[in-house]
Amino acid sequence: MAYSFPEEVLEYVFAFLSSDKDRNAVSLVCKSWYEIERWCRRRIFIGNCYAVSPQIVIRRFPEVSAVKIKGKPHFADFNLVPEGWGAYLYPWISAMARSYPWLEEIKLKRMVVTDESLELISKSFKNFKVLVLSSCEGFTTDGLASIAANCRNLRELDLKESEVEDLSGHWLSHFPDNFTSLVSLNMSCLGSEVSFSALERLVSRCPNLKTLRLNRAVPIEKLPSLLRRAPQLVEFGTGAYSAEIRTDIFSNLVEAFSGCKHLKSLSGFWDVVPAYLPAMYNVCSRITSLNLSYATVQSPDLVELISQCPNLKCLWVLDYIEDAGLKALSSYCKDLQELRVFPSDPYGAEPNVSLTEQGLVTVSAGCPKLQSVLYFCRQMSNAALIAIARNRPNLIRFRLCIIEPQAPDYLTLEPLDTGFGAIVEHCKQLRRLSLSGLLTDRVFEYIGTHAKKLEMLSIAFAGDSDLGLHYVLSGCESLRKLEIRDCPFGDKALLANAAKLETMRSLWMSSCSVSYGACKLLGQKMPRLNVEVIDERGPPDSRPETCPVEKLYVYRTVAGPRVDKPDFVWTMDEDAALRLS
Amino acid sequence: MTEVDSDIIKPEMMKSYVWLQTSDGSIQQVEQEVAIFCPFICHEIHSGMGSSKNYPITLPPRVNPPMLSLIFDYCRFHQVPGHSNKERNLQLKPLVDLTSRALARVIEGRSPEEIREIFHLPDDLTEEEKLEPIKNTMDDPRIRLLNRLYARKRKELQERERLKYAEVEEEHVDDRSVDDPLVIYQWRKWSSSIMLFLHVLDFCCLSFRNSKEARTSKTKKKNRRRKEHQKNAPLNCTSTSNSTSSSSNAVDLNNKDSNVLNSEFRDALVRGNFLPSLGKTSKLLDIEDDRFAGEDEFDDDDGDLDDDIDPAIKEKIDREVEDFARRLNSDWPERMQEILSLGQERRTLPVSINGNGSLRGFMLLPHPRLHKAQPLAPQCDDDVILPSSTTSFCATVAVPTVITLCLLV
Repeated sequence: MAYSFPEEVLEYVFAFLSSDKDRNAVSLVCKSWYEIERWCRRRIFIGNCYAVSPQIVIRRFPEVSAVKIKGKPHFADFNLVPEGWGAYLYPWISAMARSYPWLEEIKLKRMVVTDESLELISKSFKNFKVLVLSSCEGFTTDGLASIAANCRNLRELDLKESEVEDLSGHWLSHFPDNFTSLVSLNMSCLGSEVSFSALERLVSRCPNLKTLRLNRAVPIEKLPSLLRRAPQLVEFGTGAYSAEIRTDIFSNLVEAFSGCKHLKSLSGFWDVVPAYLPAMYNVCSRITSLNLSYATVQSPDLVELISQCPNLKCLWVLDYIEDAGLKALSSYCKDLQELRVFPSDPYGAEPNVSLTEQGLVTVSAGCPKLQSVLYFCRQMSNAALIAIARNRPNLIRFRLCIIEPQAPDYLTLEPLDTGFGAIVEHCKQLRRLSLSGLLTDRVFEYIGTHAKKLEMLSIAFAGDSDLGLHYVLSGCESLRKLEIRDCPFGDKALLANAAKLETMRSLWMSSCSVSYGACKLLGQKMPRLNVEVIDERGPPDSRPETCPVEKLYVYRTVAGPRVDKPDFVWTMDEDAALRLS
Repeated sequence: MTEVDSDIIKPEMMKSYVWLQTSDGSIQQVEQEVAIFCPFICHEIHSGMGSSKNYPITLPPRVNPPMLSLIFDYCRFHQVPGHSNKERNLQLKPLVDLTSRALARVIEGRSPEEIREIFHLPDDLTEEEKLEPIKNTMDDPRIRLLNRLYARKRKELQERERLKYAEVEEEHVDDRSVDDPLVIYQWRKWSSSIMLFLHVLDFCCLSFRNSKEARTSKTKKKNRRRKEHQKNAPLNCTSTSNSTSSSSNAVDLNNKDSNVLNSEFRDALVRGNFLPSLGKTSKLLDIEDDRFAGEDEFDDDDGDLDDDIDPAIKEKIDREVEDFARRLNSDWPERMQEILSLGQERRTLPVSINGNGSLRGFMLLPHPRLHKAQPLAPQCDDDVILPSSTTSFCATVAVPTVITLCLLV
């Protein structure tokens, strides 16, 4: 029957299976399919760099051309993961340099990348094309210079929100004069000014350039020159969008933007002078993505801009937009799929803008395709959440951040359990949820009962007891990532659901009530988990076993305890249990 | 196209035809300009075959007549006269894409169990391998050999079974058609389209395989793969009981490797009795990396093997397997000691797994499965898997699968 067919038949078929899920399913069908599949898999996604070792990956997949690796847990974005914890790229690069000489793509998230790694990348992979460094750190602009100088076929260099030590803007000038293959450049996170003439020449000689995201240091007057050289641009990020008001600058801009018939996405907009916003109006009708998260512009100006963008699918904006602006959004932008509202003044005691739960309710009512929400606000009610849930059962991502921890329903002063309960009950496709506000164990009961497709859950300052954690771990069938901070969850729920942890990518718990003894036990019983105790107060065995650990990071792995731990991380395993007890 | 048909199309009397013989013995004519879409046929024509009924081009066994006429209809429909072979290859490519895509769509979104059902594949991965798909348990050449032996024998068993029960299953199908014609129609449509796709794809691959370009790239791949296998598993094994091969490439490989197999196999068993030498330590350490996560090599609950084989053979197999496993097993504690002591005296110490924490991660080989009737036979490398001549024609599906397929439809 089928398995008597030569493998090239199956290879043709597998070539049309692009999702990792399908590929993994195929590799589990039988031994011969496992073998065939592993030889023809070209793209690899490693969700946790410590779940597997480079050697294991390379042995299993000998012919890989694209790698995507994630390092630190998500809460690292909130400075909860201490400096030096890990996620070093170098071991991966040095292994891949030997085994994948034809590697073309490296995409990283939250990894520590050094100049040494970047140089090794630039020299080891002859056909290297794509480098994406998202929220990475540890490198300087010298590393970028190596990439520019040596990667002859580079197509994409995207620094996303990485922390780069900016020694100078000179790195850009390292692209050779005969380098013409650039398709995408995102340097928006860099501080230093690059040589503008070098940038101009680069843009001129790369006819396939589709994405150009400049950094703040590029002044607005220089934009027309770049736009004129790259009318084929699809995604463009400005620098500082301000200058004194001058008609010549304005008209140049208008003309330059008009020439760009393919622009779909705009970003940048630091230091916006509102008078210059209308220069973009004649491209706005085609715009589908607008990132105004740095634009400190008041609501009326924002509304004017947004009203020009009927095809908007994705909007990132500061809370300056206010409820009024969101109302306008909901009436102008019926195609909206993703909305992110960031706080302009999160640490202020009093609200500085008139943005409330109402704005989100209005958008949920007016935008039928809305599926992804990130919303910072200062007040919320159960009624609003229930309305949102009923309006938008097609929500996939819902992240609500009520700025004050444990803030109750401002109308009834009750916990927000029923509100979030409605969200999980109505939004059956929900994959990602972040909770905030005053919440009891009850909300977790709702989540465990209804959120069957939930893959990632973020909890802070919520719950009453272990029961909350137990509901989540025992009920959420699709859960892959759970991150918790400052919640009264302890040993019982964790140990009772130990087996669940092997079905998940990772669990993070910080400032909770998990004892050192429980961590040890978990590590002992579950050899396929790395149970990492992160404690900057010193070795956990210098304190009683019942003492709660500072931070706990548990993840499944086939690579065993990692060997690059700093001195504030301990892996709980049989060895540790014997050594430390 | 039969001779009768060609008589009817009188104006085309000036066209030249080639004679093709399919594995069921039937000989047919096809217009040359259509047949040469297939580089294999083209090649044969250039070698002088196919010009008359007495010297037909023999098509490989797995090409079946209905599928062949489908392909030629496609080629007829798409033909543009005067193209070179390379262009004809390109003409077939859309067909390959089409069928590949169709099959990929069948696979998309399905679980491994469902895929196994649809394609009638053996469930031969161990539980460990299933749990940790990204883990590579294949590094120890002896483990790899054993796993291959299992898989191959199981394949053979199933083929034998299918041959044995083919007719019986056909009858079952007929019975059901009396009861529920719609259900039967649906699964027949479903399973026969899949079979059709697979045959078409296979045919096209066959064509590509024999075209010059394809040969160089595939040979490169095969060579690389062979090299890798040889590097990691000096115990390359091939089938000694392989059915007739279709391509000459594969046959040569087989013959070459079967001798290699027998001697290497023997070597491995012999080697298994010795303590590993110092020179091998580094390799073992390498292997230990794999073991570190605590994998359990032979732990599985794969009980779905039928035991309907000749009891004498069964005995023999049992003995072979136990013998081999014993050798492997007896080796492990010693190897562990070796690694722990690293160059010190290599005497076996009583090994306690539970108490000694330092032994965590080092595996013994519990093997409940080995005591059941397990198949044991040499197996060819995956890149020379050959079709069995008789089974490719059968579109029969066992009754339980019928039900599953209906649910899927």
